[in-house]
This record gives sequence, structure tokens and C-alpha cells, in this order.
Amino acid sequence: MAGSAQILLPSEVRVRIATTTSLYATGLLDYLAEKFEEEHPNIRLEFIAAGTGAALRYAERGDACMILAHAPILEKHYVEKGVLEDGEIIAYNYFIIVGPNSDPAEINGSSSIIEAFRRIYSAGELGEAFFISRRDLSGTHLRELEIWGRAGLNPAGGGWYREAAAGMEQTLIIANELSAYSLTDAGTYLRLAREGRVPRLSILYANPEDPDAINIYSAYLVRGCSGDERRYAILFLKFLMENQRMIGGFGEGEYEQPLFHPAEGRLMELKDLWSRLASGMEVDNP
Amino acid sequence: MIIIKLRGVWHHYPDASSWALKDVSVELGSGGITLVAGHNGSGKTTLLKIAALIYRPTRGEVTVNGRDFWILEEAEKIMVRRRITYIHEKPVLMRGRVLENIMYPLRIRGLGREDAAMKAKMVMRELGLVDLADKSARELSAGQSQLVAIARALVAEPELILLDEPFAHLDSWKSGLVAQALQARMRNGVGIVIASHSRGELPEGLEPDRIIVLEDGRIRETRC
Amino acid sequence: MSLALSEILDVTIRSLYVSGLATLLSASWSIPAAYLLSFRRRVGVLEAVVESLVGVPTVLLGLLLYMLLSSSGPLGFLKLLYTPHAIIIGQSILITPLIISTCYRALRVVAAPYLELALSMGASRSQAMMLILRESAPGIAASAVMGFSRAVGELGIAMMVGGNIRGSTMVLTTAIALGVTRGEFEAAIILGIILLALTIATAVSMKASMGVRAL
Repeated sequence: MAGSAQILLPSEVRVRIATTTSLYATGLLDYLAEKFEEEHPNIRLEFIAAGTGAALRYAERGDACMILAHAPILEKHYVEKGVLEDGEIIAYNYFIIVGPNSDPAEINGSSSIIEAFRRIYSAGELGEAFFISRRDLSGTHLRELEIWGRAGLNPAGGGWYREAAAGMEQTLIIANELSAYSLTDAGTYLRLAREGRVPRLSILYANPEDPDAINIYSAYLVRGCSGDERRYAILFLKFLMENQRMIGGFGEGEYEQPLFHPAEGRLMELKDLWSRLASGMEVDNP
Repeated sequence: MIIIKLRGVWHHYPDASSWALKDVSVELGSGGITLVAGHNGSGKTTLLKIAALIYRPTRGEVTVNGRDFWILEEAEKIMVRRRITYIHEKPVLMRGRVLENIMYPLRIRGLGREDAAMKAKMVMRELGLVDLADKSARELSAGQSQLVAIARALVAEPELILLDEPFAHLDSWKSGLVAQALQARMRNGVGIVIASHSRGELPEGLEPDRIIVLEDGRIRETRC
Repeated sequence: MSLALSEILDVTIRSLYVSGLATLLSASWSIPAAYLLSFRRRVGVLEAVVESLVGVPTVLLGLLLYMLLSSSGPLGFLKLLYTPHAIIIGQSILITPLIISTCYRALRVVAAPYLELALSMGASRSQAMMLILRESAPGIAASAVMGFSRAVGELGIAMMVGGNIRGSTMVLTTAIALGVTRGEFEAAIILGIILLALTIATAVSMKASMGVRAL
């Protein structure tokens, strides 16, 4: 759990924003908050980072005014439940598959992420590969489950499929220790790789053209949030929509590729993808 | 027959700055009753504990039948200690039943349960403790605890018994029982040393053959 | 997270096994250490250090142990990381100061007078030690129970060196943490109740076997 704990001045208003740990860990949110607070010095943005499931529960219980998430299926569920108001897509990036440098399942060169999963499954059943799942209903975990579902495979029960209920970083570290495959967002892996903490892992599948690999970030207002906090939450939402380039430029210079892509410019396409992901439907290759 | 000789003994406790005993030389042993008299803080307990071979004096010599005790081998020390018994002013009993407590000295000497129990019960009869055999040691009154401690001391048939203010918690009836038990031992040649404030505290029948008066850690006088 | 009975059972048994073993392991060196300490005169500084180590944050200890056991760490060749053994080792280290200090306090009171008693009755060194340990048995048992409670309720070590892997290193505390992460608060609370029940049951059965009558 993280947040910006500062002493509120009497004239300040705090806006509580629940977010997922992986999104917060990139540092993007603190960076955006800093810029936003420069323009609005009387607003204090407080991020509560937790697992996706927990973050949504906090929102449900009214402990946050806004939520940033990347799990379309769960988001849709909470919108339908009336907990969240209709939201906005603010950014996207891609899920990648990392695995042992030797790539025993030979997923490198797979035509789709689903194909890659199939190869991992086969290799796993033959005892040649391991896969680490997060099991924590995070955006990453949910996507992983979706892909297994779409591939028509059930990995549970196989000794090669280990469910480590740990955060993204720790899951990758476990994958590194056990020389296993794992689904991850690019940002977390790149950060760890830069620090030299996952020497046994390499990126083995990364395809920006693959709609099943897309990772969509959305922001929602929590129904029930009111007053000044709600007003300022809306301001921050607008800020996010208007500063898309800032989001895209985050991390420039530190990493070879951008960690996030601005949603603007592909909004229609993204909304379409989001809908299909949220209903667990088949996604066609464009 | 056992004779314990203290020669030029000085003692102070590890955390204390003053001497508890100063230049004490005395002989204690089998046969007869010795009263060590003195006020609180005069050094009675220290003297008894050194004579009982529990404390090693800071300075001075302690010999048993002519041999320097504190340079003996561990095993020999244990054998010698088994011939002497010291009874604390405040009885220290073990968890468990009264019978187990009294049997303890016999058990550590290797005696079997049945024999130990038998001997223990004999001493308990002497001191009127038979009814208490199965009671938990923690449930006893101060007087009863003292009797149990004394019974425990007597059961292993020591040659020298050192008692530290034994009659403090005993009513006259119990004191009488203890006096009788001690007299019986004395008649068999056992040495008795009692630390007390004054002679007046001793019950009927225990006439000291010798009185050692301690004041401020020193032997002020010896009377026979 | 399915609250299948089999999984609850699996996690509970593992918690008992891991923390139970850690307690036995730690006791094996902590009780003798406390025994030796109880005879020393100048323990002031040592006592203070040990007592302050009782409160070491589990996540810190977990982190240090992780760095030792990770494959890029000095003990990586042991391949202990992400196995129950790593948790057992970590927890046994965690509860050592706790067991030493509580045992020491129990023994301290008992050691001096009972040593004297033992000597006055002509007991040998080992007989004296047996006597002292017997007399302090309730206190020693209490320290073991406390150690077990701390071990079974800690999260930081189990998480960091265990990895919370289903079927192999998931214990009650890490399962609770997972429940919270997934937003399944109700399931987490149920597991929490099981954990508490376990701790209470251990304490009660320990007291009972010591014989409540003997204070």
C-alpha cells in the first residue's frame, strides 16, 4: 500500500484515488500528480495502491473517490453494479511474456499470444517448462486467465503451473529463480531488468499488434463521491485526458521504449477492444 | 564424623560493597548443638552457607576433615556435600507433591522410588506430616512448608545439619516435634547448628553446647 | 480464491507444520542460551539488545534472508528460496530473541534459589540443571507458546522467502494477504479466525498439559 501522506492545510482538499500496485509502481502517477498539483496547489491527490480486487472493494465501500484500473472484466462488473460511473480510457500498453533465456517452449516467433500460451502448455505438460501465475485477480492475472480460456486450455493441476500469490515484481523474481515463464506488463519487467535482478529472464513474446496482448488503463469516478472532492476528481480526470502526451513521454530517456501509450488517437479502437475484453469475447485480428 | 573448619574467612556478596563476614575462624562438625546467635545482618546466614559448602568465601580457607574443600574434584565435592544439609530460612520447595519433595534427596542419591517413599514416610511420621503427603507443595502454609523442608533435610541422614532460623514460622507444637527429631539425631552423633536471634527462641529440650555470637560479620565471643 | 475445504486444510496444516518446526528449532538453541544467561551477573546490555530484537520487523528479516538465499546471493546454492524450509529458518531466527528473553526471565527467578537448593541437597551439576528446568517448566513452555504465536502470525518472512505459492508455501497469513489483495475480505476474515483459533488452542493445550493446578 502506498500513498502520498502529507499534512493537509486547512484550505486543501484531498482526492482519494485507488489504483493498482503495478500502475503506481511505475511512478507515473506521482509524476502526473506533481504536475497537476502545480496547477492546482489547493488539491492534494492521495493514491491508495492495492491489488485490483482490493482497490475495487475500497471504491465500493466509499473509501476512494476515483479509481484507475486495467482489468476490463472487473471494471465492467463494478460499473454494472452501480459502484463506478462510466469511465474514460486514459492509456494503454502491452502485456508481454518473459521466460528463461533458453526458451524451452520455443514461444519466440509465436503468431499470437494465445499461440504462445499453447506452446507453454505443451512444454509444461512434457515437463520442459514452468509458468508462474499471480493468482491475485490483478489485471495481469485476469488477462492470463482470459488467454488460457481463449486457448481452450486449463493449466490448473499441472505441476508446471505454479500459482504464486505475489505482486508483479515478486512474481518475476520467483520466475527468475525457477527459470519460468510469466505474463507481465512491460514496465515492471524493464524496471527489474534494468536493475539486473532478473538475469535469467528475457522478453520472449512482445507484439504490439496483438489485440489480446493489449493492456488498457481506465479511470472511473466512484458513484457516491460528492462535494469538493468529486469536483476536483473530475478536474484530475480532465487533466489526464488533456495531457496524454505527458503520459506518453513518461520515462523517456530511462527506457528504450515508452512505458505507456496515450489513448488519444486510438480511442475508438481501444473502446471497441475494451468492450470485447470486458465481455470475454473473441477478439479478431484487425 | 565430619568436621568443617573455616579459617580466616572473609566474604562479601558480588554486588555488595561491604563485607558480610570478617576474619571468621570456627569449627563446626558432628556431635553437639551449636547456636549461632546475632541480629539481622550480622552474617549468620552467610556463615551457615559457607559452612554448608554452598558459597565459596571471597577470602580464607574451608576444610573438611583437614582437606581444602574448594580444590576438590567436582565429583568429590558432591560426595562431601551429601553429608551436610542446609535448611533455608524461607523454605524452598519444588513443584509437585509434598511426598516428592521429601523424596528428592534420596532420589538424586540413586534410591529407587519405593525405598525412597518408605524412608520419606518414616520422617514424615516423626514430624506429623503424613496427612500432607499428596498435597501440592504450593498449597502449604509457611509453618507446614518449613516442616517439609526439615523433613527433606533429615531424610538423607546427614552428619551435619545447619538450620537457618528454623522456628520462625513454627508454633510451639511443631517446634516441639522438630526439637524431638533433632534430639534423636543428636543422640546418634549428628551435629546440629542453628542460627537464631537469641537462645530464647529455641524450644525446650534444645540446649546448645556452644554459642557463637556474631556481630557485624565478626565473631564477638564464643561461649560453651 | 476458492475457499475449498481441502485448500483451507492444506494451508492450516502447513502453517502448523512450518511454525511448529520453527518453534522447536528455535527452542533448541534459545532455551540453553537463556539457561546460560540466567547465571551471568552482568547481563544488562545483552538483555537490552535481545529484548529490542524481539520487535524486528518481519519484512526486514524476510528481505535480509531473501538476499542471502536468492540465486545471486551467497547461499543461493542451497536452493532454499521459495520452499517451506526457508520460512522455517526465517521464523526460527525471528522468534529467537523472544524465546530467549521470556525464558531468561522465567529462569532468572528460579535459577539462583534452586541452584542453591540443589547444591545444599548434594545434587550434581546435571541434577541441578534438571531441577531448575523442571521448576521453570511452565515459564519455558509459555515462552515456546509465545514464540509459536509470533511465528504463525507473521507475514513478512513467509511472503518474501516463501513466495506464497499455492500447494507449497502458502500459509494462513499469506493466504489472508491474498484474500485482501483480491478484495475477498470475507474469506480473509474467515482465515483470520482460523489463525486465531489455532493460536488460542495451542496456548490452552499447553497450559492444560502443564497442569493448571500447579502454579
